[in-house]
Amino acid sequence: MLLEVKHMSLSLKRAGKYSKILDDISFYIEQGETLGIVGESGCGKSMTALSLMQLLPEKARLEGDVVLQQKNISKVSKRKLEKIRGNQMSMIFQDPLTSLNPLQTVGVQVEESLILHTKKNKKERRERVLQLLNAVGLPRAEELIDEYPHQLSGGMRQRIMIAIAMACEPQLLICDEPTTALDVTVQAQILELMNEIKRETEMGIVMITHDMGVVAEVCDRVIVMYAGKIVEEAPVIELFGNPKHPYTQGLLASIPKLGRRKEKLGSIPGTVPTPGSMPTGCRFADRCPHVMEICRSVTPEMIQIQKSHQTACWLYDEKEGNENATTRSHELEAALHN
Amino acid sequence: MDALRFIGKRLLLMIPILIGISILTFAISNTIPGDPARLILGPKATPDGLEALREDMGLNDPLYVQYGRYMSGIGQGDLGKSTYSQRPVVDDLLRYSPATIELTMFAMFITLIIGVPFGVISASRKDRIADQFTRIFALIGVAMPAFWLGLLLLLFFYLKLGVLPGSGRLDGGMSPPEYVTGMYTVDALLAGNWSVFYSAFMHLILPGITLAAVTVGMITRMTRSSMLTVLQSDYIRTAFAKGAPENRVLYGHALRNGIMPVITLLGMAFGHALGGSILVEAVFSWPGLGQYAVNAINYLDFPAVMGVTMLIAVMFIIVNLIVDTLYFFIDPRLKHS
Repeated sequence: MLLEVKHMSLSLKRAGKYSKILDDISFYIEQGETLGIVGESGCGKSMTALSLMQLLPEKARLEGDVVLQQKNISKVSKRKLEKIRGNQMSMIFQDPLTSLNPLQTVGVQVEESLILHTKKNKKERRERVLQLLNAVGLPRAEELIDEYPHQLSGGMRQRIMIAIAMACEPQLLICDEPTTALDVTVQAQILELMNEIKRETEMGIVMITHDMGVVAEVCDRVIVMYAGKIVEEAPVIELFGNPKHPYTQGLLASIPKLGRRKEKLGSIPGTVPTPGSMPTGCRFADRCPHVMEICRSVTPEMIQIQKSHQTACWLYDEKEGNENATTRSHELEAALHN
Repeated sequence: MDALRFIGKRLLLMIPILIGISILTFAISNTIPGDPARLILGPKATPDGLEALREDMGLNDPLYVQYGRYMSGIGQGDLGKSTYSQRPVVDDLLRYSPATIELTMFAMFITLIIGVPFGVISASRKDRIADQFTRIFALIGVAMPAFWLGLLLLLFFYLKLGVLPGSGRLDGGMSPPEYVTGMYTVDALLAGNWSVFYSAFMHLILPGITLAAVTVGMITRMTRSSMLTVLQSDYIRTAFAKGAPENRVLYGHALRNGIMPVITLLGMAFGHALGGSILVEAVFSWPGLGQYAVNAINYLDFPAVMGVTMLIAVMFIIVNLIVDTLYFFIDPRLKHS
């Protein structure tokens, strides 16, 4: 196993009070696998990414374990963490313009990881930078090396970010909405590049996105997050073909499809509850079309529906698989009332 | 190329600014009540003698004629003759200004080497003890009157401890180095005379600190707030994501991005220090432009007052031109836009 996240919770201090942003998140990722993490804005996707990198703001409290290649990186010293970041795992951010230092040339910024993590000399580093720029599909690398981010287009900048992340051949690559800030045509090119990288390396990739199209394009397995919790986990084909959680179903229904012009696009009524004012029970209950009484009082646990398909919803039962589990929930409700 | 054109344009812009300043100073000097001729000749002067001197000094001509005469003099590098010292104002300025420039540059040097690191530390340790300490330190610096701080320093380091000299530019009996720039430390270095350099440097310390107190406070606060903004940037996060240690991120990535408002303020602070030097020079008997200006005003020595004002204006403009030019070297986006 490349990465294992065990019972990770994150609290951020806001207005003097800690409120929980991530609540008991557990997942894993194998070598060579691409794991998608999807959900609406504010569901904790980006915070999950930053937690993996241990790049959290100062007043954050992270609980649980993040284990990268048998090493618990949530427990190592700052100095050891610096050796891991950019070397064994690296990250690509959403906005490539603001994520690049405006005052440094492209070459300098790509080279920095090599200075930090390798013993290469100046000439070797330059060669590697050129090689990286070529690998991410940038033309005229020799000139590009001396140019500044503001002279490049959005797509080129994101390619630079990818080159920076790939510089030390990490085992884990975390991508936080890497295509969101780009034009649609450029998005496709960047996804193409990501798939190419996937094929050529044995890297594990965490792809964080709100875009189901991106998920379909690059992911092997998907985690759906809602309000700081994981609500469903399944292989990508399974998730698209047989979504279980009402939230996942809602998300998939909101994707426009060609040839179904007259049909009204699905939307999920209501808004995501804010951290600090989370309802008891299932957090999706207020927006769920299938809400039952138990949903508002007891938090559903993740249950296995099929091999590698899990969801946290009272509608399902571990043994029955996909059938409505009203009997079980009735029993539980009865137990609660007594 | 662009930078050169930019500098050229700014140099041309200096001309109207200087004309404006000259008109303003000239007008103010001439509205100050008092008669230079009477001051020169003293209380026992005869009306005839006064009238003759006024005529001789051109004080009877209409203001615009006087102004025109003054400006045509400037065109030939002549700032008139000081009515008090009876020497050409240009000679006086060359004699007194190096002392002030030396002191101001030293104060700016202190400001940079203390203010910037303090601001960086303050920002990176926001709301912690180091931050609180630097903020209080900066506030005291900004709030404390320079002449009072000067007196305190004199009392303590000169009178009580006796470790630092308290007045003048050199130890008594030491003769100044050969005039090249007029700045004793620089000239002593050029002449290779270490004992003179040491003495001149020691004499700079107390007035330098006094003059720098305010500007250190200003620069610390500006560096802190500028760095706080920069540290929120995405590219800082990228640098950390690459595995860069904190100091590398602070000084390698953040400081260069956050330094521009600091440099702008440093230019302003230079002007502030030039003005502030008048008080500080008085406290430390520093024979500079400030002392000269105070004397000139006391004796209604208009050519000298005009000369000092114009010189300070020119220095201020040049410093700000240097600041603006620095932008080109710091921010590549300006070069390409």
